Amino acid sequence: MKKLDRLDWAEGLTLSTFGVRAGVRVNVLGVLPRVLPLLPPGWKKSHRVIVERLYSLVMAQGCERAGVRRLHVLYADSTRIARDAALNRVLATLETDLHRYTAEATSDMTFLHAGVVGWQGSAIMFPGRSLSGKTTLVREMLRLGATYYSDEFAVVDSSGLVHPFARPLGIREDSSYAQTKYSAEELGATSGVKPLPMGMAVICKYEAGAQWQPAPLSQGQGALELLANSVAVRSQPDQTLRRLQKLVRHTVFIQGTRGEAHQAAASILNLSCAHK
Amino acid sequence: MKERQFPRARLDCLSREFGEEVLVYDLQRDVGHCLNSTAAAIWKLCDGNNSPSQITRAFSRQLSARVDESVVRLALDQLANANLLVEPKVPVEYLSRRVAVRRIGLAAAIALPLVTSIVAPMPAQAASCSHNGQPCANNAMCCSGVCVPVLGHCLGG
Repeated sequence: MKKLDRLDWAEGLTLSTFGVRAGVRVNVLGVLPRVLPLLPPGWKKSHRVIVERLYSLVMAQGCERAGVRRLHVLYADSTRIARDAALNRVLATLETDLHRYTAEATSDMTFLHAGVVGWQGSAIMFPGRSLSGKTTLVREMLRLGATYYSDEFAVVDSSGLVHPFARPLGIREDSSYAQTKYSAEELGATSGVKPLPMGMAVICKYEAGAQWQPAPLSQGQGALELLANSVAVRSQPDQTLRRLQKLVRHTVFIQGTRGEAHQAAASILNLSCAHK
Repeated sequence: MKERQFPRARLDCLSREFGEEVLVYDLQRDVGHCLNSTAAAIWKLCDGNNSPSQITRAFSRQLSARVDESVVRLALDQLANANLLVEPKVPVEYLSRRVAVRRIGLAAAIALPLVTSIVAPMPAQAASCSHNGQPCANNAMCCSGVCVPVLGHCLGG
């Protein structure tokens, strides 16, 4: 870390997000504005000097020479977490790591790995791992008039309400892993602002051609599914259980295998209305 | 000595009620369990002082209905498999689900005990992972679980 500290840092920023303080510093002027859109939604500038996690972005400098690749390097504290010639890939790593760290380190909120939309005053949640189709389903819900809350994390407070984490949706197009970012507004939807109680949680997996025939799931089984997607359950088990208990008080859980997202999305919204 | 022979629920786990079910978090193993109403009620009766027969009688009194001991033995078997009971010094003979269902028959008035378990995720598992060619610092960051340190990129996934 001392070696890193000795480098010439051109610009930097200290931010506070969900009670977590982090810093970003760059050795070249003009790069920081590219970092700002990647910070967690709702972040604020902090004037504190001491941070819990410090990102150091060392930009490749100097002329390209034959046989020598100039790489940008990103450190989280003293650990190198990315080294790449493409700055956008390094910045994507910064975004992912900072969001993940925030989700893990905050005690203000409990983060669940889930997509969330708002619908008629309640939240509908889709917990699931990477590539489970959360974003696809969220995008389809937005097309049908739902309000955008998140395509990555459901943020739950101590009263069991779900807060927005409305970062731009990362949509994978043409079956590739590369994501293109779209704001909810670019997709013709609006982003939620107010925290909502959870009305429905949908545990589903994608299977090409499958017919969406959801079955009810008990509250306990549903809560166990949410536990399986809780970011900080290992470090904050008591708090996670307490918040889950409050979160699922009035929640209807359904599970099933879905085919195309548009069929499932319409059915889920209808079911949600029927349960109100 | 007697205390060690009878089923005793582990007290070093966190538990919360969700309706009639109970969610139990094993702090030692980082495993979450969902106990349905029958399994939860029987787990609560495992105080180390009662034999399976005594637990059956107590459970019957709670329900105001006669419960077959096979139900209790099936629950104890599942609870023991989930490591939710203190290891008894003298092993208690539990019952497999297949044998219990055969004995109880299909006409049981209560739900058969059920314990469902999941391993709690590591923080990196409960967040989107990096794909083939994306930068990584360790295996946990990659969907494939393979980060090539020399390249600093995920391989596959």
